[in-house]
Amino acid sequence: MRLYDLILSNKNLVYVDALTDTSYGVNEFHQSITIDDRKAIVFLYTDNMIGSVEVFLNFLQSRFTVTLLSPQLDIQFKLELEEAYQPYYIYDPSRAAVDGFEVYEASSRIQLFKNLSEPDYPVHEEIKLLLSTSGTTGSPKFVKLSDENLVQNACSILDFLPIQPTDVTPLNVPVIFVYGLSIFTSNCIAGGKMICTNRDILQKEFWTDFDKYECTSIGGVPYVYEMLNRIGFFKKEYPSLRYMTQTGGILNHTLVQVLAEHGLRQQTQFFVMYGQTEAAGRMAYLPPKDLFTKNTSIGIPIKNGSFEIDPDSNELIYLGPNIFGGYAKKLEDLATFQRSERLQTGDVGRKDEDGYYYIIGRIKRIVKLFGTRMNLDEVELILKNALGGETFVCMGIEDKSILVLHLNEELAPERVKQVLKEKLNLHPSMVKVKFVASVPLTPNGKIDYRTAIQLMD
Amino acid sequence: MNMSPKLQEVFATALAIPSDQITADLAYQSIPEWDSMSHMILIAELESSYAIAIETEDLLEMNSVPNVISGLLKYGVEV
Repeated sequence: MRLYDLILSNKNLVYVDALTDTSYGVNEFHQSITIDDRKAIVFLYTDNMIGSVEVFLNFLQSRFTVTLLSPQLDIQFKLELEEAYQPYYIYDPSRAAVDGFEVYEASSRIQLFKNLSEPDYPVHEEIKLLLSTSGTTGSPKFVKLSDENLVQNACSILDFLPIQPTDVTPLNVPVIFVYGLSIFTSNCIAGGKMICTNRDILQKEFWTDFDKYECTSIGGVPYVYEMLNRIGFFKKEYPSLRYMTQTGGILNHTLVQVLAEHGLRQQTQFFVMYGQTEAAGRMAYLPPKDLFTKNTSIGIPIKNGSFEIDPDSNELIYLGPNIFGGYAKKLEDLATFQRSERLQTGDVGRKDEDGYYYIIGRIKRIVKLFGTRMNLDEVELILKNALGGETFVCMGIEDKSILVLHLNEELAPERVKQVLKEKLNLHPSMVKVKFVASVPLTPNGKIDYRTAIQLMD
Repeated sequence: MNMSPKLQEVFATALAIPSDQITADLAYQSIPEWDSMSHMILIAELESSYAIAIETEDLLEMNSVPNVISGLLKYGVEV
């Protein structure tokens, strides 16, 4: 069955608009907006509010290929992506008009922008969803996912997460990230109420909702759990809470202890998961019982998945039916969908004697700043484009900050920080800028990042 | 907004915005710069600048410029 049909057949499924306290059965969103019957790309700048959910469901049901994008994306990035991919429709409540598009009232509630040129280009039948590999850098590189990928991923999650028809799930992780999407799809298939909200965990209203609707789970990256700890979440009683999920890195030891006590006291389960956009979501999970004995592990492969470790590079290789169908970097790339058997995760892995896997390093040039994946080569390019074509060398420091090396003695560090703040919403305190006389190179003339990172003070 | 240069500086650093943009109507999530991450930075900056420990319940209450000021008053901080 298609993802949409699985969702539509969940008779317990109700979407709650937390802002107005209004509930909608999934049937009420079935073909609730009027759209053309085409195979083309649509751009949905979605948050987790009820309108975005309704639009997303309608396009899931249609033949269109859905691209999920952040509404907070820099406007210049939005325009460049729209130029490159010629979307047939755009959903973006943050804009009143889009050049080359007309305002189209798709229903009394939903407004879209329709491309005036009625673009016509081949899109492979299997491509159902495009997800950004970075989320914020505006890179035109997308992961091509099929409906089958999404269904396989959701079903593997249902195999290990205790999702029940009576569950109440707050949508506090953005669905534009594959982790948020996984929470959305798996709960739409087998859960109960979905609380649609843009409120976040630092807003009192979020917790009022959490109590009012008796939410049964919560999810987040390690940084979210650090914030939950700081706001006293683990000291309070939430009788409805049954389990928590976490992805995007390793929790610190203090938090694991806090969770241990919380789990014992309140009978909650904690699931660490490991995933990637290229796997349509999940690849591994750590069973709750193992959290305290194997707390730095990503756990064991999900159902129907398996890992291998490359004998030469020690790279973790994933095998499973949820592996994507290749990248799209331009419109022409949408004509093909080629699933591969093996996914190179870019992470260096290790397996222990009990069959549990650990991430011990990274091969790809990627940092995860507070859970958001960022490609360092793309960050270098953004700086180069914004600052007169100069050379910048960017490196991640323990997923906490970015080190930027440059060769211009006159360049004020504030300018670099300003660009990264404007373009990527990076807080200046997370950026370290340093002038160097020269950049270390490898014998074949490439930047030697291993040596370069040692130039940090 | 009537506040000390010191507090203004704390806001400007934590939210990474110019001092003249710190007005009474500024609130959590009212501008892209005041998000969950900068809120945590703000709380940490307030704690170190004024040598106080902000209680968990006050952390969510201090969600606007006026509420930060009244929150600080509670801790006996002169703003």
